[in-house]
Amino acid sequence: MMSPALFLLALITLVPFFSIIWMSFNDVSLMGGLAFEFSGLDNWQRVFTDPDIRSSWLISLVYFLATVGLEMVIGTVMALLVYSLTRGSNIIISLLLIPMFIAPVIVGLLGRFMLDPSHGLYAWLLNETGLFDGNILGSVGSAMVAVILMDVWEWTPLVALIVLAGLASVPEDTLEAAEMDGAKYGQKLLYIILPSISNILLVALLIRAMDAIRFFAIIFITTNGGPADSTKIIPIRLYDIAFRFFDLGYAAAVGITMLVFSIMVATAFTKLLKRQETSS
Amino acid sequence: MKTSKRWLPLTFKIALLTLLLLWTLIPITWMVLSSFKPNDIITAGTPRVFFTPTLEHYTSLFSSGNSLWPYLLNSLFIAGVSTLIAVVLGCMAGFGLSRIRIKGKQHLAFWIISTRMAPIAAVIVPLYLLFRYLYLLDTHAGLIVAYLSFNLPFAIWLMTAFFDDLPLDLEEAAMIDGATKLQAFRYVVLPLMTPGLVTTAILCFIFAWNDYAFAQTFSGPSTQTIPIAAAQLLTQTGIDWGKLLAIGTIVVCPMAIAGLLVKRWLVQGLTLGAVK
Repeated sequence: MMSPALFLLALITLVPFFSIIWMSFNDVSLMGGLAFEFSGLDNWQRVFTDPDIRSSWLISLVYFLATVGLEMVIGTVMALLVYSLTRGSNIIISLLLIPMFIAPVIVGLLGRFMLDPSHGLYAWLLNETGLFDGNILGSVGSAMVAVILMDVWEWTPLVALIVLAGLASVPEDTLEAAEMDGAKYGQKLLYIILPSISNILLVALLIRAMDAIRFFAIIFITTNGGPADSTKIIPIRLYDIAFRFFDLGYAAAVGITMLVFSIMVATAFTKLLKRQETSS
Repeated sequence: MKTSKRWLPLTFKIALLTLLLLWTLIPITWMVLSSFKPNDIITAGTPRVFFTPTLEHYTSLFSSGNSLWPYLLNSLFIAGVSTLIAVVLGCMAGFGLSRIRIKGKQHLAFWIISTRMAPIAAVIVPLYLLFRYLYLLDTHAGLIVAYLSFNLPFAIWLMTAFFDDLPLDLEEAAMIDGATKLQAFRYVVLPLMTPGLVTTAILCFIFAWNDYAFAQTFSGPSTQTIPIAAAQLLTQTGIDWGKLLAIGTIVVCPMAIAGLLVKRWLVQGLTLGAVK
């Protein structure tokens, strides 16, 4: 029963996988028909020496730490708040979840709409309150903050949803006992709640980690890496190399370095699943 | 009332929750609201909450020369077919994987999950070359294959997790009563899998419907999907915000409703079965 699916999956994943490896050792030209010219380790040497690639990885790292970090913290707070509600939690979590169903391209559209310097609602608010009066998506620094917050806006609900599921497993009687002994909220949080959802937090972290490097449509549609390359995370850089400069061999090498990252995340994820299986 | 649930001072809790709700809902509400505003009110220097609503953006989307219809049909067709293939094959493979005991199963599982996690930008590069070689650029089939590259592993993995939750006793009982393995699957297991199937299908559809990167690279004049329509309007000089916000509303609303319909199984789906 599994063979049709596995055969198809092998076809559509292994062929591209071996292609990308082969491409990374070639100079691939599209002009006047497809042409491969073996170039040895040239592309690979560039991957490790190109300052543009290095700066893109650095921007990716900042973007990654900021988005995933904020999403974890805000998402956990969101979940704790909803969990503590005695009624109405169902409708409130439903409302809070909406952003994660929105296509990233529409999130980008919304970002540009809300931040438009001449009529955006948020731009207007920031201007009126005197907090910021420049072109948010057009200035270095503020553009990065904006694209980070757009990602946080979209994906925090996912973290909240996962953490909320985990909170159901917090031992109720332990909490009550702690309360009888006069434990403060902070103590309960630190010593009972957080330890018992640590596995769930790890799941949320890994899920976000893998998607953080998968998607790039928000930045694509808002700043496309600008201004002055300040938001050019590695997938955007790769897309530029491949489809603006048509340097597909080089793009393939960059792509493989990204694949290595996602394989590491996948390894951690399957390890975690195994640990859950043996512990339950 | 459970005492252990009262953790924080009530006012603080309400204030924080209100803030989070506003942060989440203002952009969506503003988009939907503004899609009913005439363009001069949308682009006015000061935001306006009260106005005479108009349907002009929606009607012009479906009547003008560059109608949204083809984009909408492409989106529905491509997302629909890729979902159907992913769910049918994923369901079969998931049942098999969940029941089989073979050596190296974890390697198989790892391969499946890592194909799902592969960065889209990295997948696009070899697929572009292969599609060019096979004349699949600007075809529906090409985009369906591209979406299967993430939806098929997703469906296999998730259905396996759903089947894992189903006790073996049921099918065993049916087989003792004389049913074949296939009959047990068809008449005992499958009806119990409805939530799993629906959740998998809805999530696959949302992933495909929401994709931008693949569509941007592989589609052409005859296969462009709705996100592409939005992106095209967005890159023009002199953006027609009314039209764009109407498209945004059309893209978002059905998916939000569909997603919330399976809210009960969402955690399991979006964590690939890691959280129940």
